[in-house]
Amino acid sequence: MGRIVIRRLAQVLPLLLGVIVLNFTLIQFAPGTLLDIMSADQQVSDPVLIERMRVLYGMDQPAIVQLGKYIWSVLTLDFGFSYRQNAPVLDVIMTHLPATILLMVASISVALVVGVTAGVVASVKVNTIWDNLISLGAVFFFAAPTFWLGIMLTILFSVKLGWLPVGGMRTVGTEPSLVGDVLDVARHLVLPALSLGLFYAAMYARIMRASMLEVFSLDFVRTARSKGLSGSTIVVRHVLRNALLPVVTLLGLQLGTVVGGSVVVEAVFSWPGIGSLMLDSVMSRNYPMVLGVLVLSSLVVAVSNVAVDLAYFKLDPRIRAR
Amino acid sequence: MVFSFLRRFARNRAALVGLLLILIVIAAAIAAPFLFPRNPLRIVGRPEIWPFLTWRHPLGTDSLGRDIAAIIAHGARTTFMIGLLASLTATLIGVTVGALAAYVGGWVDEVLMRIAELFQTIPNIIFILTIVSILGQTILNITIAVGIVTWTPIARLTRAEFLSLREREFVQACRAIGTTDLKIIVREILPNALPPVVILSSLVVASAILFESAVSFLGLGDPNVASWGGLIGDGRTLIRTSWYICAVPGVAIMLTVLALNLVGDGLNDALNPRLKT
Repeated sequence: MGRIVIRRLAQVLPLLLGVIVLNFTLIQFAPGTLLDIMSADQQVSDPVLIERMRVLYGMDQPAIVQLGKYIWSVLTLDFGFSYRQNAPVLDVIMTHLPATILLMVASISVALVVGVTAGVVASVKVNTIWDNLISLGAVFFFAAPTFWLGIMLTILFSVKLGWLPVGGMRTVGTEPSLVGDVLDVARHLVLPALSLGLFYAAMYARIMRASMLEVFSLDFVRTARSKGLSGSTIVVRHVLRNALLPVVTLLGLQLGTVVGGSVVVEAVFSWPGIGSLMLDSVMSRNYPMVLGVLVLSSLVVAVSNVAVDLAYFKLDPRIRAR
Repeated sequence: MVFSFLRRFARNRAALVGLLLILIVIAAAIAAPFLFPRNPLRIVGRPEIWPFLTWRHPLGTDSLGRDIAAIIAHGARTTFMIGLLASLTATLIGVTVGALAAYVGGWVDEVLMRIAELFQTIPNIIFILTIVSILGQTILNITIAVGIVTWTPIARLTRAEFLSLREREFVQACRAIGTTDLKIIVREILPNALPPVVILSSLVVASAILFESAVSFLGLGDPNVASWGGLIGDGRTLIRTSWYICAVPGVAIMLTVLALNLVGDGLNDALNPRLKT
């Protein structure tokens, strides 16, 4: 087990290197250089000062040397300095990362719980009104853009009904206890997690239904029935466990899109995660920050992929044999 | 064979509904310049007129007093153009990469699949935003960016199809009579591998439309073009008073994507009748 974890983590490194090279190449295509933006932003016009900044940021050297330097500094966890926030890029990202990871975990939980439950219900009650309703819901949520769903949920639950806050992560101006704080964040989390999670829930419901129906027709289920196990035991202990595998595979493939989707949802709900940070940096052409977010969010995806692989490994003993 | 394929497709009611919806959107896109000949982003009346109140503005006006119906009709053109071209870009990249990886094999396969994995790891919207912000907010750049993040599933599918076709007798026969590799790939294997790939491409159109609307919604779309996502982004600040500005274009996006998904599923089922559950 430990060897496999290390081997999978070792595969993350070249991937990360690829991300860095790719994005560095992209930045080279940018029409204005970082210096142009900085000098425009801070109204520096003294050519001597600009020249000093050019040397300071290493821009007087050829691109390949800059790339080598950038890779080296990323490997030593130095992502550069953000002149906008006046703090090291890594520090800024790290203060925003927990909010995004919280949103990610909450959305994936919504997706798994809602999706798997809906899929199981649809497959157990196949071709009934329940099945049709669930299929209809899945088609609906699979097609609705997450940001639009978020806005519609806000209109219903925040504006019309007033049950939940419109946006942000905490109520401003209160100094609650620890329990109060957790509840406050949870209240703010409901709508963003639903908007992002329901899209994936729709997908998982469809996959889960198909894979449950397939497993129901296998021989070992008939064996379980013939030895007199109750219907619910068969569903939960025999069919569900086997039918989960395709969902886990899909989850692993989609982690990248979940992080991407969180950017949009964070923009809708002004959730203070790396998505909002990314959008702000893109708008202000804060390239060191953009690169930093790209590299670190890719790292988050790659590492979560390893975690999903390990979950797969736990679920399916057949893979362990290989 | 084509005929029985069409008959199987026509038996699927959901897919037919989807097809009908797509035809309606295409009709709106074609008719837009005739129905609304002036620039849809021009101000035509009082802001925030609710839908279904006047004949002049059947879907109402937005926060600036622009006709929502005109923006929806012209937005259909933008949406379809970006969706189709981005899907075409993704298909071209994906088929080339997948075909090369499977046909050449060895280290080429290894390297190309690593690259595909790389593109799958980078969070897609973050990547699109980076490309658009660096290269500029134009329709062309958005199209290319969306194509660049959606080609990996097509490459994987093409690779799998090519791997299963590569060693078939008809390919071996071509090799035996000395057909060049390029001819075998393009004229023998590709036509056989294409049907499932084309169906996946039609599903990629749907996700391309969703990506485009997200980019426009975030305010990074082409500012000179009417777009459904952009209208939602503009109307966002007014959800307390005029929530219909967000609701109407969202319904348009949802119905279009839903229709494309239904048709894609219908084509898939018609192509693999055995797989239908």
